[in-house]
Amino acid sequence: MNTVDEILNYAIDQEQIAADFYLATAEKAESAEMKRMLLEFADEELRHKQILLNVQNGERNLTPEQEVLDLKISDYLVEVDTTDSSITYQDALIIAMKREKAAFDLYDSMAKKLPAGNLKEVLEGLAIEESKHKLFFETQYDDYVMTHN
Amino acid sequence: MSLKDLLSPFTVWQRAFGKPYTTLKPIEERPGAKGYRGFHINVAENCVGCGSCHSICQNDAIDMVPAEEYEGIKGDSGLRPRFDYGRCCWCGLCVDICTASSLRMSNEFIWTTTDPDTYSFTAGVEETPWQDKEHGYRTAEGYNLYAPKRIDMEMMDFDESVKSFTEVVRGYTEEQAKAEADRCVECGLCVATCPAHMDVPDYIKSVRDGDYEKGLELMYRTNPFPASCGRICTRECETVCPVGIEGDAVAIRWLKRFIVDQIKPEEYARILKDTIEENGKHVAIIGAGPGGLSAAYYLRKYGYAVTIYEAEQRAGGMLRYGVPNYRLPEDQLDKDVDYILSLGVNVKFKTKVGQDVSFEQLIEDHDALFISTGLPVPSSMRIHGEEHARVLPGLKILSDVTNGTDPGIGKKVAVIGGGNVAMDAARVSRRMGAEVTILYRRRIEDMPADDEEIHESQAEACTIIEQAIPVEIMDADNDQQVCIKWGEAEMVQDPKGGRPRPVLQEDRMHVETYDSIISAIGQGSDLEYLPQSVQDECHIKWGKFNPGDYQTTELKKVFVGGDFANNTADAISAIEDGHHAARGINRLLNPEAYKD
Repeated sequence: MNTVDEILNYAIDQEQIAADFYLATAEKAESAEMKRMLLEFADEELRHKQILLNVQNGERNLTPEQEVLDLKISDYLVEVDTTDSSITYQDALIIAMKREKAAFDLYDSMAKKLPAGNLKEVLEGLAIEESKHKLFFETQYDDYVMTHN
Repeated sequence: MSLKDLLSPFTVWQRAFGKPYTTLKPIEERPGAKGYRGFHINVAENCVGCGSCHSICQNDAIDMVPAEEYEGIKGDSGLRPRFDYGRCCWCGLCVDICTASSLRMSNEFIWTTTDPDTYSFTAGVEETPWQDKEHGYRTAEGYNLYAPKRIDMEMMDFDESVKSFTEVVRGYTEEQAKAEADRCVECGLCVATCPAHMDVPDYIKSVRDGDYEKGLELMYRTNPFPASCGRICTRECETVCPVGIEGDAVAIRWLKRFIVDQIKPEEYARILKDTIEENGKHVAIIGAGPGGLSAAYYLRKYGYAVTIYEAEQRAGGMLRYGVPNYRLPEDQLDKDVDYILSLGVNVKFKTKVGQDVSFEQLIEDHDALFISTGLPVPSSMRIHGEEHARVLPGLKILSDVTNGTDPGIGKKVAVIGGGNVAMDAARVSRRMGAEVTILYRRRIEDMPADDEEIHESQAEACTIIEQAIPVEIMDADNDQQVCIKWGEAEMVQDPKGGRPRPVLQEDRMHVETYDSIISAIGQGSDLEYLPQSVQDECHIKWGKFNPGDYQTTELKKVFVGGDFANNTADAISAIEDGHHAARGINRLLNPEAYKD
């Protein structure tokens, strides 16, 4: 990816892939409540996709340099088997957190390899967006799963 | 007529031009003395509307009236004192009894108006010219018409308590109980706050009167677990007791315990006089914990036949399998449970719905169903190595001890978690001779455990390491032990204004070796017995129900309550859920009783 447009196209595709992943997982989920939760996650990814589309067509900028709180909750949790249909709330949040972290790591590592410039800024902006998404899921985990801890 | 009489009108006129003998009223106002008992001031935002001023007024000069801006606040009656200056004698008793020290008197004493209704006003709510007066009568420092200090409860020394499962709290003597009961100002704020709305001031009065049978009867109107609650209740009531604003809250829990301790179980039937008129209908209950048993008690009183399906071999739920004997002795729990069962409740022990009997069969065979299966499934940490054989769930430790099984924890134990289960697991481990360290990822002040439990854990030599986040479980160099890697956390303010959150500091990691690691980070529900279609229809979220009024669900015959259906997850809430469901079931099955 050498241009801003290529990077944004890649990021937009990734958000769609994530949304499709949650839709497919929702399809397999046993309980209606889990389906609903996963569909909400899919909607969240589509919302992220729209943000990036708006950036691409100049309607908004990516968030400028801004430190986002990293709770590091997902970093030490084990992976969840996404093929298991008896997925729980805890599972769903872990999946979401780890996906967002993976996306953040990708953009962050790409940005670090580039010299100062527009491309680097765009990648850093994308990394910030992903870290905001990760924070959303980590906050849910902290509030609803870690109630006694 | 004499000459003098003839001349008197003229001599009177002489006085018209002379200096008057009258003294005019001074132009400068002379304020009342600094301690003058003048017109009342109430700092309304500090007042809780307890009504003590109204109760003590000898002239009935104070009424408690609604104050809209204070309605719906926890621990506040929503009322404020209204003074009638046609009756007030300005004795100051109301100021001296004020538990919030919000009521005082100004040194103002002049108030002129032609409207007599003006002399009745709600201090602090209606504007008055003297509300901000600096001077006036205040209660002398250290002088109270109520007793601010609680009667101390005798407890075992913590050096001794860790050696056994003997109850740590000794209980009040009669003299102590009466002295403690005397502290109650009978405001009733506790009644509103208690999830079961127990008649607290009335049963406290029964202690003062020495009428313990009356006290027991009062308690059973709203709570069939007084022996248990008298020991382990979360006592929301005490958090709003106005005596606790400037002093110690009345020991409502201990007074409840005192009443129950005076009465032998074999006397209950005679005192409570629960007579059952069978109505021919049958309700099934899943779960014989406090929620299920409470529902059973009140349903029997309505005349319903009740069958409880319980997976364990004994009734009591978390009260039996999750609360150790040193907090709730089994014979006290049995006092509550046995009385409920004595009313003819049929319990099928070791019967799992979904295995031994289907949920659908229960629906078909009964007129209604109440489910209260709690949160029996330990949550998992989801860190690498958690499946290690030396990682033990806290709930399992507690139930093993209840069942008389040695949980095999070893002599050096780490407990992960900050709730009551973690504290109980820690203190049980101490009693089994282990050295205990509690690792909690936030601060002690954030721990959801009861403050008393945290304090007693520490007093029993449990070490609490706060801001400690477990990240991995690893093999030790022998298979009798296990290692845990944990990192220190910094608390960071949530940018969205929520509670501070712990953030792992990856450059501050520790590795420790233990004989066991006890995981007590939370619990979830077990709804496997419930068909998926039922779960879906009931909109279960995060494994919990969201019942409607009277504990209803989307299924007409099905009612729910207890830890998996409320946000407080304590015994008293489960007990009230059970009672409320019984009311709901009666409304469903006996609608005639509710027609006007």
